[in-house]
Amino acid sequence: MSDERPTPETLLKRISDHEGKAKRGTLKIFFGYAAGVGKTYAMLDAARSEQKAGADVVLGYIEPHSRPDTMALAQGFEDIPVKKVAYRGIVLNEFDLDAALKRKPELILVDELAHTNASGCRHVKRYDDIEELLNAGINVYTTLNVQHLESLNDIVASVTHITVKERVPDFIFDRATQVELVDIEPDVLIERLNARKIYKETQAKRALRHFFTRDNLVALRELALRRIADKVNREVESNRAEVRDTPYYTGEHILVCLSSSPSNAKVIRTAARFASAFHASFTALFVETPHTKELNDKNRVRLRENLKLAEQLGAKIATVYGDDVAYQISEYANAGGVSKIVMGRSNNKHGLFFAKPNFVERLTALAPNMDVYIIPDNLPPHRPETAQRHIQEHFYLSDLLKMAGILALCTLVGILFSSLHYVQINIITIYILGVLIISNQTNGRIYGLGSSVLSVLIYNYVFIEPRFTFNAYGQDYPVTFLIMLISSLITSSLTMRVKYQAKAAAVNAHRTGILLETSRKLQRANEFHEIVEKSSQQISRLLNQSVMFFAVKDGELQKPWIYSADPSRPLPAEYSGEEEYAVAVWVYHNRKPAGISTDTLPGAKSLYLPVKGKDTVLAVIGIPMWNEEGLEVFGRSLLEGMIYEISFAIEKYNLNEKQNQASMKAEKERLRANLLRAISHDLRTPLTSISGNASVLLSDETQIEEEQTHRLLENIYEDSLWLINLVENILAVTRIDDGRLSIETQPELVQDLIAEALLHTDRHSTEHQISTVLEDDMLMVRVDAHLIVQTIINIVNNAITYTPAGSQIVIHAFQQKQWVIVEISDNGKGIPDKDKKQIFDMFYTANNEIVDSRRGLGIGLSLCKSIINAHGGEIYVRDHQPHGTVFGFSLRLEEVDHHG
Amino acid sequence: MDKTSILVVEDDKAVRNLLTTTLNASHSYSLLTASTGESAISQAASKNPDVMILDLGLPDIDGMKVIRKIRTWSNRPIIVVSARSEDRDIIRALDAGADDYLTKPFSVEELLARIRVAVRKMQYDSRPVLDEASFENGALKIDYSAASVFVDGREVHLTPIEYKLLCLLAKNVGKVLTYHFILTNVWPNPLESDSSLVRVFMATLRKKIEPDPSKPVYIQTRIGIGYRMSRVME
Repeated sequence: MSDERPTPETLLKRISDHEGKAKRGTLKIFFGYAAGVGKTYAMLDAARSEQKAGADVVLGYIEPHSRPDTMALAQGFEDIPVKKVAYRGIVLNEFDLDAALKRKPELILVDELAHTNASGCRHVKRYDDIEELLNAGINVYTTLNVQHLESLNDIVASVTHITVKERVPDFIFDRATQVELVDIEPDVLIERLNARKIYKETQAKRALRHFFTRDNLVALRELALRRIADKVNREVESNRAEVRDTPYYTGEHILVCLSSSPSNAKVIRTAARFASAFHASFTALFVETPHTKELNDKNRVRLRENLKLAEQLGAKIATVYGDDVAYQISEYANAGGVSKIVMGRSNNKHGLFFAKPNFVERLTALAPNMDVYIIPDNLPPHRPETAQRHIQEHFYLSDLLKMAGILALCTLVGILFSSLHYVQINIITIYILGVLIISNQTNGRIYGLGSSVLSVLIYNYVFIEPRFTFNAYGQDYPVTFLIMLISSLITSSLTMRVKYQAKAAAVNAHRTGILLETSRKLQRANEFHEIVEKSSQQISRLLNQSVMFFAVKDGELQKPWIYSADPSRPLPAEYSGEEEYAVAVWVYHNRKPAGISTDTLPGAKSLYLPVKGKDTVLAVIGIPMWNEEGLEVFGRSLLEGMIYEISFAIEKYNLNEKQNQASMKAEKERLRANLLRAISHDLRTPLTSISGNASVLLSDETQIEEEQTHRLLENIYEDSLWLINLVENILAVTRIDDGRLSIETQPELVQDLIAEALLHTDRHSTEHQISTVLEDDMLMVRVDAHLIVQTIINIVNNAITYTPAGSQIVIHAFQQKQWVIVEISDNGKGIPDKDKKQIFDMFYTANNEIVDSRRGLGIGLSLCKSIINAHGGEIYVRDHQPHGTVFGFSLRLEEVDHHG
Repeated sequence: MDKTSILVVEDDKAVRNLLTTTLNASHSYSLLTASTGESAISQAASKNPDVMILDLGLPDIDGMKVIRKIRTWSNRPIIVVSARSEDRDIIRALDAGADDYLTKPFSVEELLARIRVAVRKMQYDSRPVLDEASFENGALKIDYSAASVFVDGREVHLTPIEYKLLCLLAKNVGKVLTYHFILTNVWPNPLESDSSLVRVFMATLRKKIEPDPSKPVYIQTRIGIGYRMSRVME
């Protein structure tokens, strides 16, 4: 026993799992084997006791056909008014999901889990409504009959001979927190029915005849009981798994083959039952062949439905592409560790003249370690009808002309050979060559086949005595004809095969190529907009379709970025309206696909797919659809692969962003600390001088000579001016520090900026000769005037400080392509190269050791760099000829229309 | 002639002392002082000073309100002093009716220069109107009736927009005009993005009327704010 005790970690996990569940509402299903057993009654009864216990209970929807005593029980509950939906001229009552979500009760009752909503509701199926209620943390009571369970559908059909249209996926049932079986004896039910308690009279009679036979009811009851037992069993298993700390897994992997056959649904359900019985992992494989594209609409729809069914039954969907189905299946099965293959009865097309080995035989030969289960059915053998005839008609003329032309050419050559008295066999070879070329050049087997027969006929007609009749004198000719026919048929069929395989290989390579390219492109994308652009572009290329990309920013879904597949034909406005955006928002919040061709909001114009991250939706992709068909199978699986890549790229980007922000913050902190240190140093010195000088003046005013007084006052004045400049710089630093947002740019004339700066340069500037050279007095830049003025002041002051009196300082502004360059040069002694590198670093001053005596304004040049960079420009320093220094910076030119 | 009276509104004692000391030292002004917005308004109403120096950051009411209030009855020059170096505050004050501004820290020379400009404006405004048909400022003369401009007696050819600009500045001589004000008063249907045009046309105008455009006499640039025409001593 003590071995079995859960470790603290597993207990924690269980608790956190439970907490996860606590956020989600609980689902209780009242489960019965037929209508009339009293599910609704039992549900209302249970709800009543909950209400008595103080719970906030609301009736969401109760089927109105219930019996009077049931309706009586429904009194005294608050109910949500039904939504009236007009449908083909009649008004239907539907459960109002939005009202329920808005009301948000503790417990809501929604009858008939298997119900299909009228079009116009958000979801096609009521169980999706209920899922949304549960996700919103609302507890739900609902009712369900056994015949509506997806996996039991075939069995119910075989017992009762009635196919039930409204079906509920098993995972809904198995995930229910509680299932209460509402059970009465079949005899009692029949009695009740006879007393017309359940259906109205005419309906009752019909129902009795078709469904409520005693045998049916007993069988259904058994099914219901077994299913309940099964669920209980599974719960036990899952509890045991929790204790064992490893998932209960048998190592079995079941593979079911998808096809467009009508019997395939049954095969899938059987496989699903197998999978759950064996506790196996479950994969549904679709092998796309070159013929898949030629399927007609009916088959395509069925294929999609089968795929959806497999998905609902918990299968992982996989698709492979190839010509040889058996080979593809075996390859996948071997690589994927599949242990059992479930498939329908094979519709093996036998080759006309050389019998292909049976499909199953081939499969077992290719995958000898696997069990193969064949599910029989009563349906007639299914040949996937292709739309080929239609296609052929399309290309009829050109292919026919090709065939006729080549045959005519063959005949001409034949006549030539004949006139040259060549052996007959040469002519036969020419015809076989002709058939080979025809098979290669035309689309469809019919041409190869037809040309084979035709060539024999023509050969007979033209070349065999008696010529120009279909008779032949020689006894051996029939054999010759037969051999000729067989050879050309084989030639044509082999050529076709080679052609198809080449085509399949090409398509496969193309698609793999797109996936690889997506992965590569996304990995190289560093900016978010690049990810958006690249992924939209790739999806658009894959589907040959426009794409909408809804990014998520600060927990909100943004308006879409639209990538048009064809720039000349932009996406119509109704595809990107408010209503469509609302669908995308629903997808964002519910983490599930929605829109056209899904069960949720199918009225939308586009299909919306979530790009899921670990625990959030990172983006939503919208794919406009022109019809309700949805995506073809293979495209879908590739799209899933792409979306996975996209989510990976976005997560990577988000992570990088977070790291960048953290390091930026750290850098900011570092700068701030440095700034504070430097300021306190730079402030202390002049403040000491000011207060010291002033106190001397105050205390001993009479005793100091006038000349000395004047010098002290001058010191005070100098220092205060110096402080003013420092404060201006600090102010600028804080504005830059807040980010680019606080910079307010306006167009300014460069000459105004320079003139303003020169007004504020150092008082010592009188000792220097400062001149301005403007090549164009209309140079205009878009800048924050104060910051740029401060930049010029700092550089000019720097020049004044570090050059001897009498030096020349020249400010030169000129245009260089789209940039305005301002250079400030001096003819001082210049700056050594090693200092140039660091000169724009914060708190670097030339001659570091004498900072105190020169008061190096350490932040000046680094501030200049920040300012210029914030304006998108560059700052640099270089030597001046013959000696001295040039500081320069660039700003983007502002174009002005002088005559505007 | 009476001394020009100046009302100094400033709540900081040290700065107020500096202002009064500086102005007293020049011996040409009589001084009034106020430290709150309320007393500023009441003194402005009762004593009617010629020039007012107003600090925007007052303890009781917003300086902007003081300007608006006084402008309801008086047209006398107001010079705004602001510690906030945000251009937006200054522009708001100018648009509310202030004539000029100073940002702290300012130098004493600067203060005195601004006051001289203001006093000249005030004296010019109070002069009896002799000739509305022309405007004269130093060597610059505008003949409104002929729509022509002369510098040193020589006629200067201006484009229509340059002429409108010059007239606007002349009409508001001594007052700082914001870019926005100029834009809306000179251009027929201005966009905010046209503000670069103001700079361009002002530069061309200066080239035509200033003896040395890099050291302008008539039109001063107030970077980030706008322009002002100053009255030149005759």
